[in-house]
Amino acid sequence: MPERRQNVIFNEIHSAYYSAVSKIISRILEGGASEEDLRRIVAENAFGESGSTLLPALTRGKWQLVHPDLSTPVKNPPQLPLTLIEKQWLKALFLDPRIRLFSVEPTGLEGVEPLFTPEDYLIYDRYGDGDRYEDEGYIARFRTVLSAMEQGDGLQIEMIDRRGRTVCFCCMPKRLEYSERDDKFRLITQGSRFYKTVNLGRMVNCRTVERALPQEQETPPVYRTLTLHILKERNTPERCLLHFAHFEKRAERQEDGSLVVHLRYDVDEEPEMVIRVLSFGPLVEVLAPQDFRNLIAERLKKQKSCGLF
Amino acid sequence: MSSYSELIKNFERVRSYMREFYVYGLKSREEYDKKSARSYDDERRRLESWLGDHMGFVRTAEGKSVFISIDSRSSFRNPLYKAWKSKSFTDGDITLHFILMDLLQDGQPHLLAQLMEGVDARLAEFEDPMVFDESTVRKKLKEYCALGLVESTRSGKRSLYRKTELWLEEESWRDAVHFFSEVAPCGVIGSFIEDRWVKKGAHFGFKHHYITSAMDSDVLALLFLAMQKHCAVTVTCDSRHLRTQERLVPLRVLIGVQNGRQHLVAYHTKTDSFRAYRIDYLSEVVLEQTVPRFEELRAELAALRPGMWGVSMPKDRYDRQSTERVEMILRVEQGEEHIVSRLEREKRVGLVERLDQHRYRFTAEVYDAGEMIPWLRTFICRIEDIRFSNSLTERRFKKDIEQMYRLYGIGGEQEDARKEAERDI
Repeated sequence: MPERRQNVIFNEIHSAYYSAVSKIISRILEGGASEEDLRRIVAENAFGESGSTLLPALTRGKWQLVHPDLSTPVKNPPQLPLTLIEKQWLKALFLDPRIRLFSVEPTGLEGVEPLFTPEDYLIYDRYGDGDRYEDEGYIARFRTVLSAMEQGDGLQIEMIDRRGRTVCFCCMPKRLEYSERDDKFRLITQGSRFYKTVNLGRMVNCRTVERALPQEQETPPVYRTLTLHILKERNTPERCLLHFAHFEKRAERQEDGSLVVHLRYDVDEEPEMVIRVLSFGPLVEVLAPQDFRNLIAERLKKQKSCGLF
Repeated sequence: MSSYSELIKNFERVRSYMREFYVYGLKSREEYDKKSARSYDDERRRLESWLGDHMGFVRTAEGKSVFISIDSRSSFRNPLYKAWKSKSFTDGDITLHFILMDLLQDGQPHLLAQLMEGVDARLAEFEDPMVFDESTVRKKLKEYCALGLVESTRSGKRSLYRKTELWLEEESWRDAVHFFSEVAPCGVIGSFIEDRWVKKGAHFGFKHHYITSAMDSDVLALLFLAMQKHCAVTVTCDSRHLRTQERLVPLRVLIGVQNGRQHLVAYHTKTDSFRAYRIDYLSEVVLEQTVPRFEELRAELAALRPGMWGVSMPKDRYDRQSTERVEMILRVEQGEEHIVSRLEREKRVGLVERLDQHRYRFTAEVYDAGEMIPWLRTFICRIEDIRFSNSLTERRFKKDIEQMYRLYGIGGEQEDARKEAERDI
């Protein structure tokens, strides 16, 4: 018999409204909740227009969970147990080598079928030189970094730089940035003049230091806007827009069905952007900036000098 | 009076609008027919309510086009997950949910009658209390049993209900759940877990991060459940011009982290072949009977892997030898060792050999060399030779490069004119 399953993901128990109401009830049970507190919880947990619907429904008896005097018939702070699909998802994480980076155990998941296994999916275009998640030293350094971020501690890092030299420096860890394509973590730092980012794979030692380091403002990336002309042929608009989907962008359709797309990219990533644009061949042309266009032209000139075409 | 609500009953419609606004951001209100113009207004307003600052619009000759623009590198949590938290419910649903969960909080088994009494007692404090009949409460408990929130046991002829144990230490799990909610399949489930906790700053950011697949989470979860049970599925497939219903045996999901696409590789019963389907084009997944030869089909698919650059497979599943050969020779100058590293880490099923001090050969035998072309083009400026066993592909590759020369004025009339101008100066 065909099995029409209850919608396990799109379900009201996961809704932002349920989540906000749960937090409102908890706040009321703590005592002394004001309407302002409730409004703040809605703003933090629900959507832009929720304030005008959720609070009146809750406090005027439409949903019988909060009295107009902001008391509640609920006796305990709401606690939603894990659903089966959530347990299955968590169980699946234990088949991923990256789970060892975290100090978690599958306690309570005995007998739960994982939602997916490595046989069920494959990332086919990930780079082959990702970080070594099975390496005990790597795991220890990763955990030290994570703990320093949590505690607000500084770090003393020893690493091999690009030229193969061992360098040692102190910094404040800001965040760990993971690239799905590279399968690598890098640490974004503050307080170090020369090392703003550190590949975790290059670290050889890492320990927390108590001495406070200057917490200067993070230097924001410098962005530029790249303007591309995308031809209508070979399904390029669809392929290209999906390819650049993770950038801030704006597209305009031209009379002939082609597109002009403006996308914002980090200047530090320019060499990568050049090869990403090149991968579309003649179907995507750089219109601006001119110096980016020149970078493509330079590569083509060099190619022509190879004498092949 | 408008019947607009931030919440929705059916995800499918908003899924297509989100794709339209996020990936393309081109279609104007005027391009929707009159009937769907109202729907367009509602969906746009909802998305604005969910995604706030990420929404923008541009006015063109065709009208105003709405787009969603997100730099996923600076968004530490996938904003598109919000759509999955917009399911509508009735006044009774939400009231009963919190009262029932409260009554079951003690972890003890309760009879239906006890729970009914408890619900009435809690609601009696209201001026005009809601009344829930036995069948409504039983139905809600049954629903919660299926979701795993409540366990049901029998005591003689009567059912006893108990809340399942709450389990997860927030302190130890917070980072793991956040990280995997962004990088693991069906990551929105991790985001549901995070919603139980007080919101805190994130320790992780993400680069090269495609967030579009969030919209396909439900379809993906059902496909995984089908694979777990070795089931066939019936699924609706939308292509650019056609909507069909297919019976498939889902075998594996192939995820591209360089193009943001997810494909289902399945056995297509009707044509006795393996096919790849874009998951964002699939909907209405219904699990069917188990397939006894599931493992056999999966092993057959695994045997094709060495010839797959991306998702293309042989047209005839019995003809595994029909591969195409690609051979490329690259020039690598001194100080360009990073090119060799690139080749090594990006070669997938290919082979890299050093020919002499400055030349490297890349070779691959794949079912569809056309899939490799975008990657091969990234080496433009150092390709000394390239050969494809498929002459059509070779002609296309070379023709494309010639067209690029023309586009950028390399070696043609434009460049001659430029050189002439430079000489005059």
